[in-house]
Amino acid sequence: MSDGSTARRSPEPSKEPSSNGTPPFEELRHLILAPEQEALERLRDRVANPETRTEDVSAVVAEAIQHRRAQGGDSALSEALAPTIETALRESVRKDPIGLANALFPVMGPAIRRSILETLRSFIDSFNQIMDQSLSWQGMKWRMEALRTGRTFTEVVLLHSLVFRVEQVFLIHKKTGLPIGHVVAPAVAMEDPSLVSGMLSAIQDFVRDSFHTSQTQAINRMNVGDLDVWVEEGPYAILAVVIRGIAPRQLRDTMAETLENIHRQYAAQLDHFDGDSAPFTEVNTLLSRCLEYKYKEEPKRANNFYAVAAAALLVLAIGGWLGYRWWQNHRWNEYVADLREQPGFAVTSSGWERGHFVIRGLRDPLSADPVAVLKQHNLTEQPEFHWGAYYALDDSIVEQRATQILVPPPGTTLQVKDGVLFFTGQPPFTWLKELPKRVLVVPGIRSVDSAGLLSAAQHAVAQSVEKIQSTVLKFPLGSAMLSSAEGGRLRALMPELKDLQGVGNMTIEVWGHSDTSGTEATNLTLSQKRADRVALELVQLGVPGNLLRATGVAASDPLRPEDSEENRAYNRSVSFRLIVHNLL
Amino acid sequence: MLGSFAVGKTSLVRRYVESIYSDKYQTTVGVKIMKKVAQSHDHEVTLVLWDIYGEDDFQKMRWTSFNGASGFLLVADGTRRATFDKAVELEQKSREEVGQLPFVFVINKNDLVDEWEFDSSIEDQIATKGWTTLRSSAKTGENVDQAFSLLLGKMMD
Repeated sequence: MSDGSTARRSPEPSKEPSSNGTPPFEELRHLILAPEQEALERLRDRVANPETRTEDVSAVVAEAIQHRRAQGGDSALSEALAPTIETALRESVRKDPIGLANALFPVMGPAIRRSILETLRSFIDSFNQIMDQSLSWQGMKWRMEALRTGRTFTEVVLLHSLVFRVEQVFLIHKKTGLPIGHVVAPAVAMEDPSLVSGMLSAIQDFVRDSFHTSQTQAINRMNVGDLDVWVEEGPYAILAVVIRGIAPRQLRDTMAETLENIHRQYAAQLDHFDGDSAPFTEVNTLLSRCLEYKYKEEPKRANNFYAVAAAALLVLAIGGWLGYRWWQNHRWNEYVADLREQPGFAVTSSGWERGHFVIRGLRDPLSADPVAVLKQHNLTEQPEFHWGAYYALDDSIVEQRATQILVPPPGTTLQVKDGVLFFTGQPPFTWLKELPKRVLVVPGIRSVDSAGLLSAAQHAVAQSVEKIQSTVLKFPLGSAMLSSAEGGRLRALMPELKDLQGVGNMTIEVWGHSDTSGTEATNLTLSQKRADRVALELVQLGVPGNLLRATGVAASDPLRPEDSEENRAYNRSVSFRLIVHNLL
Repeated sequence: MLGSFAVGKTSLVRRYVESIYSDKYQTTVGVKIMKKVAQSHDHEVTLVLWDIYGEDDFQKMRWTSFNGASGFLLVADGTRRATFDKAVELEQKSREEVGQLPFVFVINKNDLVDEWEFDSSIEDQIATKGWTTLRSSAKTGENVDQAFSLLLGKMMD
């Protein structure tokens, strides 16, 4: 009967007829309503009885809650349930904290990590900025660090470059120490995972027992040289990774996540693990996530700009200085080469000494001024000269020296070729006569040009002879008196006469002449007197007498035809004739 | 492997298992891990053996290592009576610490017949306990494989 709301508690059906006298109505009503009343009774009993009521309610309680939620009574439902759930949780924690912790384990890790990450994020950002600015000196700093800590530069770079590789990952069942999963990076030598897992577990036990740590604590890192073993413990399984190199902290997070995933995914299998790893179908895939590695990165090029620019400037500066030095050197060397070419210089060394350009060598006093040569090369700096004195044998120098020493007479120039002296002009015989001897005084002259010498000598002689023989001394009519004028003329011949005396055997014929007037005998005597007079004068002047032959020839050999008075006067004279027998 | 000091636990297994660890692991870490691959009912089974360092004072033994074991070999030295009593103690302690585990009782050094001390009284005790028992000799190799096979069978059941 569904119409329970209108049901009301009907009075106990009376078995006796009532005093009102309506028993038939009552009986009728009882008859009609009896089945419903019984049903109601049963229903009431059911509701009143806690057991049956629980049964009934339990059948619909889930749906009722859902229905309530669907109706939009979210907050009301939650509010109603909250205190109860809180109490329930508290009770659960009190009874069995481990169980709840185990259940929450997959959740706690990420929650905690996220909060820490947020806290650190701002710190990391500012730190990154600082790092970026100082990256341009990275290499320098690392070298300093290498020097300071005694590591090689390579080690320091590795340290900072986070080079690492995860070589192996073990998943070990905590209770039995048996391996559940195992992955290995390529080309890595490995031992039997069963043995390694067992030993790892044994070591954990050993440490816990030996050092009185609490049972929940464990070794989480083992390090030997290049290798690190990181261990993460979960409630049922342990994750161990073998790392070569320096790994970043993020790997630890990856390990924790992996372990949580495994606990979540394989919760049931972990609980009932008996050594058979078949139920753990995808576990190695999960473990592979931990096989991380990282190689060295190239340093960012942009940040090296300042270092590169500075280096370039330095290179430029050095290059510029070197280039300038080279160019300077080149100019100096050109100057020195030029100097070497000059006669009278023997440069033994040239170069930079203590910032100055120094030239050492020998210099002939007659050489050109090296400073003048400097100007030709546009060199303003004065080099340091260290000259020793010497006689150069360069032709031009020897020429100069010969001219200095031999003092050629005017009109005569000297020339030296390969140590042989040549001369041009008509030097007098006396100078020529001494030349072969004197010439040896001049360093660098070995001989005189003999052909030239001979011809010059001959010429000189011829000239002298010519001069003497062309000289005619005049006498007055009928007299053998030598006037002072004529005496002077005679004296003017002395140099030539002296010259010629040195040449060789010589005879000086003094011929006296007269004009045709008068007798031959008187003219003969007169001419003879005239010749003697001149010869005497010559002797007085210093000519040796044995060279002279004074002869009067009267008018027999006239100098000029007597066709004028002037010519006749001319014949009243003395002339000379020289005979040179042999040349010295 | 469970048993007193110098009963021959290590010798028993040495030739028949693989290990990467030297014997000193026993005395330093307190346990040496070994592996044996055996056949059982057409299955290939990998046995990971923990050879635990046995002191005469059993309280020093690390029962934490025993946790998670699937079974054990209980070893005594037939030439020393005392090792039997120790074995009984150990078996009881194991039951207390980790519960009932399948095991096989091995009386080692069967080759030293002249020095044998395990007489009939001991054998009666053993019979009473109902232990699966084997006499073995690590030296000759007698019954070593069989001991493991028996234990394996018990563990697989």
